[in-house]
Amino acid sequence: MNFTFRRKRITGILAVVPANERSFIDEMKNYNFPEARSLKLKEVMGYDKRRIVEPGVCVSDLAVFGLQHLFDRGLLIREEIDALILVTQSPDYFLPPTSNVIQGRLGLGHDIFCQDISQGCAGFVIGLIQAFLLLEQESIGKVILINGDVLSRRVSPKDRNIYPLMGDAVSITVVERDTKDSMIHSSFKMDGTRREALIIPAGGFRLPSTPETAVLEDVGDNNLRAKDHLRMDGSAIFNFVQVEVPQLIERLLAGAGVSLDAVDYFLCHQPNRFMVQKLADKMRVPYAKMPSNVVERFGNSGATTLPMAMILNLAGELQKGDCLVCLAGYGVGLTWAAMLMQLGELAFCEAIDYP
Amino acid sequence: MPHAMNDFLKKIADILEMDIVEEQDDLKGFPQWDSLAVLSVIAMLDANYGVNLHAAEFQQVNTVGDLWALVQSKKQL
Repeated sequence: MNFTFRRKRITGILAVVPANERSFIDEMKNYNFPEARSLKLKEVMGYDKRRIVEPGVCVSDLAVFGLQHLFDRGLLIREEIDALILVTQSPDYFLPPTSNVIQGRLGLGHDIFCQDISQGCAGFVIGLIQAFLLLEQESIGKVILINGDVLSRRVSPKDRNIYPLMGDAVSITVVERDTKDSMIHSSFKMDGTRREALIIPAGGFRLPSTPETAVLEDVGDNNLRAKDHLRMDGSAIFNFVQVEVPQLIERLLAGAGVSLDAVDYFLCHQPNRFMVQKLADKMRVPYAKMPSNVVERFGNSGATTLPMAMILNLAGELQKGDCLVCLAGYGVGLTWAAMLMQLGELAFCEAIDYP
Repeated sequence: MPHAMNDFLKKIADILEMDIVEEQDDLKGFPQWDSLAVLSVIAMLDANYGVNLHAAEFQQVNTVGDLWALVQSKKQL
């Protein structure tokens, strides 16, 4: 499915990452695999450092910290926020919505539209789509899109499939109307028949958490995880990305009438360096145009790896003139979504530590 | 032995960090056969043979030769 938008743009990006840093080398003794194989995994996948929250820290803690930072520095005026969209898979509560929690903690007033969206690694594009839709309303002039997860709290330390790549982070993206007659193209697809490729089986209403769902099990691959833990079918996800994402981007660019070479940067979700580089190989895009260095330094924080890729690689450039960027997110659902837009003249593009 | 087969065996040996592997070798018998090896094989088949194998399809594969046969059958589709 395709959506197009006119006269909308991103005007600022801030990421909040926990100061708490973990290293692959320190943690590989937890895994039930020979050390040499784990070192090989580190080298191939590009695992090294990652940032995760301390016990008890929630998405709203990181989001409130980041928004307060922007208020304190005059980069965002609280009265100007008309909508707060939070995209997360790790809300503070089942209810109320965590966007309302953030609104209440910051005292943002009642004249605001708050909404939680349950999406994962495609959540930056999905969140932008929602922000652009809201901006069609006259009463909405500024939307704050918050992407964030603290899913390191829901992975088994004995699951080498997923533990070494998990990172936590929140990003805050300011979305407004554009004074220029800009055009944004997006394309996305969903497939709920493959929903079990990325899932936390227990803890919802389908299978409430009990002492049994907390028991670690070996499902036959030497990894130990409980039904309360996030699980990922790594090879199925790899296949999904290699098959679906190049086609999605091809269709997006064809629909927009833009050639692959005309795109300045491809900013893709980063599950690990390996998958991003394989995607670049398949699409015949030079690595310099498709950054893949987020996971080795911060871990995979879901949707937030897209803004992190901008901050780590393009912060200087994006505070100047426009670049033509293609965004792509893919993951839980399954969901895959891409967007082609001009990005630049950002008022801020930086990351801060959550102490 | 045809050249294409030799080349395939060499690629599998590289992934499994072995000097040599043979058609009749049991893939799951190699100590290096883990999730990383599965992923590396899937990526290698995609890049070199244009074949996308699903993890479930690995269930029916026991030997290196079985994998080669599966790749050949998928290439003909």
